[in-house]
Amino acid sequence: MFRSILIANRGEIAVRVIRACRELGIESIAVYSDADDRALHVALADRAVRIGPAPAAQSYLSGEAILQAARETGAEAIHPGYGFLAESHAFAASCAGAGLAFIGPPSGVIARMGSKTAARALAEQAGVPVVPGATPSDQRDETIAAAACRLGFPVVVKPSEGGGGIGMKTVPEEASLLPAIAQARREAAAAFGDGTLYVERLIDRPRHVEIQVVGDHHGRIVHLFERECSLQRRHQKIVEEAPSPAVTPALRARMGGAAVALARAAGYRNCGTVEFLLDGSGDEARFYFLEMNTRLQVEHPVTEQTTGVDLVRTQIVVAAGGPLPWTQDELRQRGHAIEVRVYAEDPERHDLPQAGPLLLYREPSMPGVRVDGGVAEGGDVSVHYDPLVAKLIAWGDTRDLARRRALAALRSYPILGVRTNGPFLIALLEHPRFIAGQLDTGLVEAERPVLLAGLAGAPPPEAVAVARHASVDAAAHDPNGPAVIDPWTLLRGWRG
Amino acid sequence: MADVIPIGRGQYRVIDGTRQRTAYAAGPPEARWVFLDGRVYVIDVRSGTDVARTGPAGTREGGRTPDEDLALSAPMPATVAAINVAPGQLVEPGDLLIVLEAMKMELPVRAPRAGRVKAVACRPGELVQPGIPLVELE
Repeated sequence: MFRSILIANRGEIAVRVIRACRELGIESIAVYSDADDRALHVALADRAVRIGPAPAAQSYLSGEAILQAARETGAEAIHPGYGFLAESHAFAASCAGAGLAFIGPPSGVIARMGSKTAARALAEQAGVPVVPGATPSDQRDETIAAAACRLGFPVVVKPSEGGGGIGMKTVPEEASLLPAIAQARREAAAAFGDGTLYVERLIDRPRHVEIQVVGDHHGRIVHLFERECSLQRRHQKIVEEAPSPAVTPALRARMGGAAVALARAAGYRNCGTVEFLLDGSGDEARFYFLEMNTRLQVEHPVTEQTTGVDLVRTQIVVAAGGPLPWTQDELRQRGHAIEVRVYAEDPERHDLPQAGPLLLYREPSMPGVRVDGGVAEGGDVSVHYDPLVAKLIAWGDTRDLARRRALAALRSYPILGVRTNGPFLIALLEHPRFIAGQLDTGLVEAERPVLLAGLAGAPPPEAVAVARHASVDAAAHDPNGPAVIDPWTLLRGWRG
Repeated sequence: MADVIPIGRGQYRVIDGTRQRTAYAAGPPEARWVFLDGRVYVIDVRSGTDVARTGPAGTREGGRTPDEDLALSAPMPATVAAINVAPGQLVEPGDLLIVLEAMKMELPVRAPRAGRVKAVACRPGELVQPGIPLVELE
């Protein structure tokens, strides 16, 4: 086992990894930028190293600065968390070159699965279904139209070198195909300097369901069932759960088998996630490979709560060369878990990220509730990084119990000083379609007006009374300062 | 009317007959944050109104603001990623004037009305604060 691990990340995931290290008796080494010198992950780690100024490019994204910190502290391994350098094959290779264990898959696997086309080709080779589509080598309009007709309508025509929805056209029937191709080509050429087009069958209102996999260095690869991640805004997940209300045991076995087959074909090691689009529900549902995430996912706790497996601990054990402690048959799903992501953002202003001081921040504590947080009262949400404040995970024997626990916890989770999506999440968990488990990736946008309607309205007289009372109560304190003395604030300078 | 009893730092019990609820509050009197029943209000203690919805910071996006200065300023501390206009240029409502970047997101600043750009008050890469107009229209 490693003696020490450097955590090349910040926020809640750095805190999560530090906790896993502590359990295993491994020294945890935090890194931080100037914006984070008072952050929770820095206060909790056994050692902490400044790696640069606030901008991520000069700190958390600087592989060089992180490797330097690892050398200075004698770290034996690096946990990249998610985001930042977690999916950088170059960084994984530099770690290996520096004699450090990278807690993740090998560099070559990250590179291959990071390329959409290479990953898709590998999936096809492994017999994993992909969304039917083609990039005709003959790029004349008529040839593309013929390829689209072979796929069946509706289809999507999009630039083959692209992203962000630019030049993407949904074509409901053959009659509107040729004008759409011409327009997509113009937009593709203008935006990417390349008019090559790709046609794909449109999966209407799909679910996003992913399978957790993990492999060791001894040839064993297992899956840990699915997570349903259909509730998204701006293509970012905000509520995840396990199991998926749409997945039956037979479908689960098929999807799990496909994910393991792909991981095996890729030579996968450590934790990873195979994302699928799910069309329909039940035994007859069809699923299509979307992409593979070669790292720990934000939503990993719903898998942990329903399988009893500690995924971060598993990552560390596997990276140190240990075997997976369970076979596929020994793994079970039990009960239901729901995660909500608490973001510093304003749902009433197009989810605009918010930054500011956490004047008051109290995490709820109640049966069946776990909070993976990265902040503390008296700290702040910085303008420099992702606005994720914490993840609240609730579990119970049934989906409805998990849902009710999440609601009760959100109603006991005051975050003041920075606006968050907390009230919006409450409205979402109370929406009839969420209660019924009728989820698809378009739900949040389609129901947004309904979800926001509950948030409008003047403050009730009780809230005004509390505000006025607090005025008297707080008179003795600095009105701009935090409402309470925060223990981490007191720790300031303790490293000095 | 409900009674309010402080029960801890920033924590209050709201008592209405036999009904009891827990509330939290923090912040200065002109913008005091209150948490009650899962909802958050930012209240001006004197007027008793929610400043986030009615006050100067309560601008809602979509060009509905009567206050042009706010429409032309950053909604939060942000870095200027791109400037799409120059002084003298004519713009139409909705035209992209400035692209700001904050927290991994691009935030567009769009023209709230038609007009001519009188001045651009920021530079690329500059960190700008909310409420200060980045472009002046005439």
